[in-house]
Amino acid sequence: MVASRDDIVLECRDLGHWFGSNKVLNGINLQISRGQIVALVGPSGSGKSTLLRAILGTHPPRTGEVLMDGASYRSPHRDRGIVYQRYSLLPFLTAQQNVAFGLKLDQTSLAFRCFQFWEWAKLKTEHMDQAAELLDRVGLSAAKDQYPSELSGGMRQRVAIAQALIMRPKLLLLDEPFGALDEATREDLQVMLLKLYSENVEARAKGEQPPYTILIVTHELNEALYVSDRVLGLSQYHHGGSEGAAIVYDKAAPVYRPHAPKELSDFVAQKEELLKAVFSDEVIQHHSEYVSFWEDREKLTVDA
Amino acid sequence: MIRQPISRSWRIGLGIAAILLLMLCYTILSQSRQNTARREQHTVAGKRLTQLAEQQQQLDLQRAKAEAVTAEQPRQRALDRLREQQLKLDKDLLKWRQIEREPNAADRTVPTWGMLIMEGLIRACTPQGDFERKETWILVDFKATAWRLLTGLLLGLAISVFLGILMGCFDPAEAFFLPPFSFFSKVPATAVLPIFFVLVQINFKMYLAIIAFGMLPTLAQSISASVRKDVPEELLFKAYTLGASQFELIWEVIFRQVLPRILDAARLQIGPALVLLVAAEWMVAGEGIGYRLRLFFQRTDMTVVFVYVLLLGLVGLMADYALIWLRRKLCPWFGD
Ligand SMILES: Nc1ncnc2c1ncn2[C@@H]1O[C@H](COP(=O)(O)OP(=O)(O)O)[C@@H](O)[C@H]1O
Ligand SMILES: [Mg+2]
Repeated sequence: MVASRDDIVLECRDLGHWFGSNKVLNGINLQISRGQIVALVGPSGSGKSTLLRAILGTHPPRTGEVLMDGASYRSPHRDRGIVYQRYSLLPFLTAQQNVAFGLKLDQTSLAFRCFQFWEWAKLKTEHMDQAAELLDRVGLSAAKDQYPSELSGGMRQRVAIAQALIMRPKLLLLDEPFGALDEATREDLQVMLLKLYSENVEARAKGEQPPYTILIVTHELNEALYVSDRVLGLSQYHHGGSEGAAIVYDKAAPVYRPHAPKELSDFVAQKEELLKAVFSDEVIQHHSEYVSFWEDREKLTVDA
Repeated sequence: MIRQPISRSWRIGLGIAAILLLMLCYTILSQSRQNTARREQHTVAGKRLTQLAEQQQQLDLQRAKAEAVTAEQPRQRALDRLREQQLKLDKDLLKWRQIEREPNAADRTVPTWGMLIMEGLIRACTPQGDFERKETWILVDFKATAWRLLTGLLLGLAISVFLGILMGCFDPAEAFFLPPFSFFSKVPATAVLPIFFVLVQINFKMYLAIIAFGMLPTLAQSISASVRKDVPEELLFKAYTLGASQFELIWEVIFRQVLPRILDAARLQIGPALVLLVAAEWMVAGEGIGYRLRLFFQRTDMTVVFVYVLLLGLVGLMADYALIWLRRKLCPWFGD
């Protein structure tokens, strides 16, 4: 089940970004392979959202480039999904319509919808059925006819994730998606992400491509370690931090099956390490000191 | 207590009380203006004047008799007495003539409820005029004005939505249209009316142009502001990641998101549009509510005027509720 380095979905090469004299990102190099769920943590204002926007393509980086499946890009695309913390749904569509919205935009054009009305009507029922099915899988079939304003925060984020997933994006980006939720709801949604990860595991076992690759930004270290199989730290606290934040932490994280007991004690050592490497402005080190994900991976394969 | 809610029956009761109070004030006003004392005086004056005319005849007769007297001294005495009487009579005559000549004996500026119904409502609602041209004013005028208003509003709304969204989406469009719009939205549209009368032929299209022009600067600006402010950029990015084209983004996301705000902004334009339309009709129309108002105003006959004012209020309210209903129907997600 170990991801190989040659199935790289996303790559950032020497990416840098700044706003006026505010140098935000500098020399970001990053590879994410298919099927990974990667958590990105970092101090507030370190540029996590900026990096995510660059990867999404809505705000291309000032220097360097981003590649998906080897092709460089500078604009948003249906292959890259996003879930924001706020405004994640279209308020004028019901939950089901929100989920089906992507299929409509992706598969039909305005001309088709106007001039081939009957074909469109048929296709639309198909889309709505697919959306209903997906909503059922995220446990929201009862709320499918409600508008976002009538949904709770947790339900809204579930719908938003379903809305993005229905496109089968090559990469799903989540920017603090559970930041505004209460603890219990948050855990439900974390379990939902773990279920996606276990689908990846099953697919690999059958020799298929894992369907979900996710990059999630969070400020909760427990959440980062719990839902992901790899943790990235983005921080300006390294030598050369005045030029902008860099990836200063990149290691594997413990993998959990959904509903398996969560041993918080597993996290303690790694949390300490993260706090020191990413969040502490007193401990300043070279930016590659805690970046060892791929080397660890290679060692593991060699050992095996 | 601030924001203390009240019960439904209280709410309705207070509303009805306000309307009743308004009607009471009107009743008092019309009764006081009616001035029955003055009207009685007027009839008294009529009677007195006939009496005075008789007295004058008597006096003339007496004078003729007195002049026929040959004795110098008694004749002179009689004539002196008669002259005194004549002076008194002239003074009286002057006084009563003045009272009789005073206008407003039957005051129509604030008609009573009875006059309002008998002379206003019935005249407005039944066929009037000579044999060739018999027409029911209220039907003719209401049809003309409502048709002008409705088509004008729709035209203005369509242009404003198009330009407003264009301005909200594309900076060059905003840079181009904003200066003229902010200028014209500050010019009172009624002041521009004369320019319309000379530039455009006075016909149906002129009214449409006036209404559309009156709405456009404000409405387009508020729609453009709404496009910029009420559509979070996250929604736009999201739509891009779902495969939207530029045009789909405008039509499927931006338009649908701002539609309820457009309808609310259009509601606010009904008032100004009515003002403009009635003013234009007042000046140049041959039919319509404004035209009829001017006719009766010139005769200081307010009976029909009040009926029409009531009608105008109802038209405005109806248009307002129609737009609210439309918003609820089209945008159930927006709430109230
Ligand atoms: N549109 C922008 N214009 C100017 N500065 C910005 C903009 N967006 C972000 N920044 C700045 O970039 C830095 C990183 O912001 P952000 O990526 O939102 O941080 P994070 O998501 O890690 O909290 C902050 O200092 C912020 O002030
Ligand atoms: Mg952020």
